[in-house]
Amino acid sequence: MAEPDTSRDIDQAASDWAARLDRGPLSPETDARLQAWLSGDPRRKGALLRARAVSMMSESAQALGRDFDPAAFEPARRPLLASVSRRQALAWAGAGATAAGLAALALPAAARTVISTERGEIRLAPLKDGSTVLLNTETRIRVRYSDGERRVTLLEGEAYFAVARDEARPFIVEVNGRRLRTTQAGFRVRKLDRDPVDVLVNQGRVELSPALALTANTRLILSDGPSAAERPQPIAPEAVTRDLAWREGKLAFEGETLKQAADTFARYSQTRILVPDAALAREPVAGLFASNDPVGFSRAIASVFDARLEQQGGDVVLTRAAPVAATSSAAAQ
Amino acid sequence: MSGADRERTRWFLRNILPHEPALRGWLSRSALPGVDPGDVIQEAYTILAELESVDAIRHPRAYLFQVARSVIMRHVRRARIVPIHTVDDLERLDHPDDAASPEKHAIDRDELRQLARAIAAMPPKTRQAFVLRRVDGLPQREIAARMRISENTVETHISRGILFLIDWFGSSGNNRSQTSKTVESEIASLDGRARHQSRH
Repeated sequence: MAEPDTSRDIDQAASDWAARLDRGPLSPETDARLQAWLSGDPRRKGALLRARAVSMMSESAQALGRDFDPAAFEPARRPLLASVSRRQALAWAGAGATAAGLAALALPAAARTVISTERGEIRLAPLKDGSTVLLNTETRIRVRYSDGERRVTLLEGEAYFAVARDEARPFIVEVNGRRLRTTQAGFRVRKLDRDPVDVLVNQGRVELSPALALTANTRLILSDGPSAAERPQPIAPEAVTRDLAWREGKLAFEGETLKQAADTFARYSQTRILVPDAALAREPVAGLFASNDPVGFSRAIASVFDARLEQQGGDVVLTRAAPVAATSSAAAQ
Repeated sequence: MSGADRERTRWFLRNILPHEPALRGWLSRSALPGVDPGDVIQEAYTILAELESVDAIRHPRAYLFQVARSVIMRHVRRARIVPIHTVDDLERLDHPDDAASPEKHAIDRDELRQLARAIAAMPPKTRQAFVLRRVDGLPQREIAARMRISENTVETHISRGILFLIDWFGSSGNNRSQTSKTVESEIASLDGRARHQSRH
């Protein structure tokens, strides 16, 4: 070819490859073609990385739920995204909170000291130093950066901190008066009403005191104050992935009781899942579910446990189906 | 995708992609003759893809700009004739506006809302296939059966959907073909005359 590809051509080919990879595993021949394509131009590997990243991002569309109606999002004309006004964004946040579950933050994180999310909302807040905080549902943090330290206080809720390395300026997460300190790490801190604070480290190292450090794949339940009982527990990488599934708008269960799962869903939605039957409430559940779709979850549960699902007002009620003998037209009625 | 691949892609998605509009804006404003921002961005991403580890990257945004700058330097060195402007253009490249303005930063904050809007703006068939794949999570084969089209056609729709999103998120909604046209015409008009753009 005399003419080198334009960056546009390469993006097109990279999208083709990303779609091919999305379809399923490559045969050895196809993989060889991919490798040959990649090595043919210094731009191609980067273009494919981007195409796959965009493809990965679009996986979070699952969180839109099956009721997602694209027509509702059709603009009158195609807008420039950058020009979305704060008011528009807020209006959407209000209207869409129930529809899509996630909303926009139209102000820069750096300009605010307190960042928060509503129920069902997940928000990524980039900080000045390149670190990011991903706030889960109903979460509030306060950010205070100074020359000496980067301090974030978790006031309530759950957040994942991806801390950019800076040896000179430690990153400190304050929670219940305790200080979690790191120079670089990826970790999750959870502070819910009644439960003790729960810290899970995904990457790097987080110190609670010089003597007590958490490394990757460990978890620590904080006591009210420093205590000998505080000991990081190792946890399996798969369990870490499950615990952090909310970052993609999903909830992962593996053997939790239906009651526990229902309580977890309650954090994300106004729709409550009620399970009056104690035996049913103790049934173990497993699977990956959209966190903003308690009804979809309940439907799946109903079919697995042969339960009945009823929507009462804003709630979903799950009950055991009547004993087989009684499952007549009268019972169905 | 292997685990390591996926981890790198996720890192890229979270730490690099949000800064693409800013990088593109900076590259376009600097408008180096013969250097297409799209090329520079892809090449910079290749460098990021080939890094052994990204753990040591303290400031992804600043790092991205630095990598992009090194790519430009390489292009300039490779070019046989270095246009005289390029030298002071490179001076300017020393100071990327690293403190992002609120508008520029707003991009990475409302991913899902933007995603919903981007999907809504796709051509109808592509949109249908994309929604079935991504929202409903159906495999491509099942989508083919449901839409009564071939699997290859589904793959093409998914590819178009991805390309659509690359444009949507990479250029923060600006029409990218327009941007490259501008660059092309600028390159075409480079015949030794000073460009129209104001400079100092």
